[in-house]
Amino acid sequence: MKITEDGEPYGLITNIQKYTIHDGPGIRTEIFFKGCPLRCIWCSNPEGQSYEQQIGIYPSKCIGLSKCSLCINSCPRGTDTPIKTEDDRLLSLQEIPECKNCFRCAEECPSRAIMIWGKKMSVPELMKVILEDRNFYLKTGGGVTLSGGEVMLQWEFAALLLKACRDASIHTCVESSLYCPTEHMEKVYEATDLVITDIKHMDTERHKEYTGVGNELILKNIKRTAELKKPLVIRIPVVPDHNNSEKNIRATGEFIRDVLGNHVIQLQLIPFRKIGTEKYATLNLPYPMGDFSPPERSVWEKNLLRLTEIMKEYNIPAVAGSSQKMC
Amino acid sequence: MLARELTYHNAVKVEPLPVEPFDKEWGVGISGNTPEPSPFPRINRILSKTVKTTNGFVSPDRAILVTEAYKKNPGAPQIIKCAEGMANVLRNTPIYIYDDELIVGGLGCDKKGTPVFPEFGLNWVVDEMRDGLMDYSEERTHDYFSFSKETQDKLESIRDFWNGNTIEDYANSILTDDELKGSHAGKGVFFADAYILCGAGHLGIGYDRLFKLGFKGIRKLILDHMENVDKSLPDGIKKYTFLRAELIVNEAATDHIMRYADLTKEKAGSEEDKTRKKELLQIHKNLKWISRNPPRTFWEAIQMVHLANCMVHIECNGHSISYGRFDQYMYPFYKQDIANGTSTREFMQELIENFYIKIWDLNKLRSHILIKTFGNGGIGGQALTVGGITKDGKDATNELTYMALDAHVHIRIPTPWLAVRLHAGTPWELKVKTVNTIRVGTGEPKIFNDDVTIPSMLSSNVEVKDARDYQVVGCVEPDATGKSYGWKDCGHMNMAKVLELAINDGRCINCGPECMRWQKCGAIGERLGVATGSLENFETFDEVLEAYDRQMKYWCDRHVSVLNAVDIAHQQLKPLPYLSSLMEGCIENGKDITMGGVKYNFSGPQGVAIGTTGDGLATIRQLVFEEKRISGKELLDAVRDNWVGHEPLYAYVNSEKVHHYGNDDDYADELTKFAMDTWCKHIEKRPNTRGGFYQPGAYSVTVNVAFGLKQWASVEGRKAFEPVSDCMGAVHTHCGSHDISGPTAICRSVTKLDHARATNGTLLNWKFSPTSLTGNTGRDSFIALIDEYIQRKGMHSQFTVANQETLIEAQKNPDEYRDLLVRVAGYSAYFVELSKELQDDIIGRTVLSFD
Repeated sequence: MKITEDGEPYGLITNIQKYTIHDGPGIRTEIFFKGCPLRCIWCSNPEGQSYEQQIGIYPSKCIGLSKCSLCINSCPRGTDTPIKTEDDRLLSLQEIPECKNCFRCAEECPSRAIMIWGKKMSVPELMKVILEDRNFYLKTGGGVTLSGGEVMLQWEFAALLLKACRDASIHTCVESSLYCPTEHMEKVYEATDLVITDIKHMDTERHKEYTGVGNELILKNIKRTAELKKPLVIRIPVVPDHNNSEKNIRATGEFIRDVLGNHVIQLQLIPFRKIGTEKYATLNLPYPMGDFSPPERSVWEKNLLRLTEIMKEYNIPAVAGSSQKMC
Repeated sequence: MLARELTYHNAVKVEPLPVEPFDKEWGVGISGNTPEPSPFPRINRILSKTVKTTNGFVSPDRAILVTEAYKKNPGAPQIIKCAEGMANVLRNTPIYIYDDELIVGGLGCDKKGTPVFPEFGLNWVVDEMRDGLMDYSEERTHDYFSFSKETQDKLESIRDFWNGNTIEDYANSILTDDELKGSHAGKGVFFADAYILCGAGHLGIGYDRLFKLGFKGIRKLILDHMENVDKSLPDGIKKYTFLRAELIVNEAATDHIMRYADLTKEKAGSEEDKTRKKELLQIHKNLKWISRNPPRTFWEAIQMVHLANCMVHIECNGHSISYGRFDQYMYPFYKQDIANGTSTREFMQELIENFYIKIWDLNKLRSHILIKTFGNGGIGGQALTVGGITKDGKDATNELTYMALDAHVHIRIPTPWLAVRLHAGTPWELKVKTVNTIRVGTGEPKIFNDDVTIPSMLSSNVEVKDARDYQVVGCVEPDATGKSYGWKDCGHMNMAKVLELAINDGRCINCGPECMRWQKCGAIGERLGVATGSLENFETFDEVLEAYDRQMKYWCDRHVSVLNAVDIAHQQLKPLPYLSSLMEGCIENGKDITMGGVKYNFSGPQGVAIGTTGDGLATIRQLVFEEKRISGKELLDAVRDNWVGHEPLYAYVNSEKVHHYGNDDDYADELTKFAMDTWCKHIEKRPNTRGGFYQPGAYSVTVNVAFGLKQWASVEGRKAFEPVSDCMGAVHTHCGSHDISGPTAICRSVTKLDHARATNGTLLNWKFSPTSLTGNTGRDSFIALIDEYIQRKGMHSQFTVANQETLIEAQKNPDEYRDLLVRVAGYSAYFVELSKELQDDIIGRTVLSFD
């Protein structure tokens, strides 16, 4: 666990989102952890992948170097910093070999054209924000959801934060890929009320192709979660031509029925959408599914509903989308 | 059967039992997408013939008939002239009955026509006709009125008679430049012209009382009081004259209804369809009866509500003549008709729907300037209130509460303006009905909070039983139904302009020779406001607050002077004898409503730009006095330059690095509270001309746009002529939204302001995308959000659930839709922050139910 100079443990957080209503029951505050061991090609939160603070650049927000240039002026390397611009707007800083990630440019930027992905936050800092919406949790059975990135990568900090939430009688949910050492997971579970995880593909080769890792550890951890009787919601991010075959869906259904003993509160089939592209651009990363064109809407919709029906054959409480109550 | 397969659908029957189930879902954001929304073929037929715009035509009959009566009574007291004018209109104006309708009545002209009210000012009407500003033109692209050459000639012919004798003339003759320099006619620190060219409206007649007495009973009341007037007392002759006027309009009202009764009979005579003939004969009977007597059935009662209200419009030229607590005063008829089999739930539902469409057919003439400023066309502001608690403090929900909401979804026309009163004990079923109605996306209904509104009214010396029986009138205002003349929405103060003057020693920030007042003001070393020092010299932030406070008092003094002058003009020239007869207290006190005849008399101007002013104060405090990032002079210079050449500062003040109202950030929220409280402090409880006092409001409706057009740039990051912030909402400038923390933060920030103190009402406008409200998670989270707003003593909210067209608009004009929330996938986000592709996706998927 990382600790500040004052000895305060901190987590690296990309975003805090209040009034989240689909990642766990009720109205929730969702904390996005930075850093992830997977590289899913459909990832919509690329800023959550690296476990380092990163510079993100929104050229459209730049007010123009001729009018501002606070970024260059603040750079320790000096005003001859090589940067890319287009129509006077900052396009990229990534070319600078000497960049020490001091982030002074981001701190000085008045328009948020340069921003820092990832903020170091302590448990008390996070709890202050979390507690602001306590009444909304009480009214709806809501609470806090830790998401990412991958929560388990910062498992010690996550466990601390969850404990603080539980001490404040706040319902806790962890949304994780479960690609992590089982003992880390179990440590995090100590103060976790609900787990949301994905089954991305039942074929480990395909899983590896799409996410960079095989599915063995993940399935093992899901099984362990069921054994621990931890309330569990499973999601399938249904991506056309990738994991939406009847074969894969049936294999998933069999796993849930036979291995998990249907220990699942809800199974959500989440329709894939091309999102996060603008965030890839801020990181100067290519969007892996840039060339992919999804099938026509009505066809796709029908397909999703059919897969949902198949899941129900296994006595699994399956729903399309995430706007039906979990519990 | 396995135990776990047992289900108990409908095992619990939820009372009440209106026509539709309480949890009926129509969809989310689907307004305008259903061709035949009503379950009743008749209603759909009427809807298919209903024009869905607020444009109309000018009808000269009322103006001519009133002029005729004034000419016939040259030496009569003003109130007798007014009564004779009204009587002449009621007896002679054209009347109409339309196919299929079950409820008849209008404004003395065809559907969508508008009468003319020369008493308030005729010159503008004739001038606009002549100058091409009345009918459609580039200057007037909506809310325009066609007219014939004959109409124009008729109105021209009476122009001389009214010249110099209107409310406009009177008010202007008693005001000086000092009062007008900051007004609508000057620099726009405040607007006080709302009731110069039209009536004050903003009230609801006492339907309970009318149902008890009938026109016959009111007549008896008038005669009884006439008999008891001691004419030798100083007020005796005045009272007697007032009661004479009451008698004139009372008889004319009966005659007016009888004209409809006769016309219906005539129509029935020539009607070939047997069913329709029977209907017409029943309508005839209803009308004949209620022309004198108290109504006996639901049908008679709703017919009476419509006609009594139309006649108020014909007399007073005000808008927001509201329908009171419809579900309360109609319920005894509903219950009784069901019990004795006179009617069915379905038929009464149909009547309500017909009644709503009748309201839409009414229209009101407004000047092209007023249309630009206030932006709402049509008859305007006829609120209809349901729900809440009873006079003795119990939950008041009944079947009609639900039916009134269903009726709106069945017709999807923006009249009446529905208000649902909520309180701690509101049944879950009504909350579901309310949010399901909101989710359709028509913007109806608004919600009002009894738990703050009632205490707020008590603080204005309203008796507890009257406070509990409040209705909402117009856009925003709580009103003691049938007993109050509130002059609500009579004026507006631009708090952001007050702050500008406060930090620039009483001078406009862009003071210069191009100003229309330059020769009388800046050029000779004068200033518009009071000298309160300059941000260039202030040493502490407290000096800023003090300057704002002093500047606010100075402008409130002048604002109230103008409002009082307009009020006096109404008293002198346009007493309202018919309206007075329907309001408790006037006959009893022998005093017209404009003179203070009713129990409660208020004047309610609004504070505008609450968020802009709050963020302005926060910006000054943080940047100039705490971070010392810039000097006061630098900040003033940047604003004076309209931020040109100060781009980094402009971006900075608009970024989240500065404390902003609307993010649950006490720093900015408390300064916003100070901004609003200072306005309230200088307005509340000042005496008005009718024996009552002033009540501050905290909302803008659309006046924030008009104020923005009159104001140069401001310190919180607004450029010249951009709108100031709306109602209680946060700041949205062209550079970005200042509230970026989602709906729970908005809810908490806004409720840190003191709503109860704004006794004339408050408003928060919310915008949601359909995708953030779908499914039962969307519904129940939304209910919780409203519940928390209620519990934290927010007074009033309205909701936009943007439909697809709005989303497309938002894509084209992102600056105007900065706070539009959309559900993306697993999370919600601000629509305009998303990529074009994703926006397209969301636009395409709003009809899906499982998003």
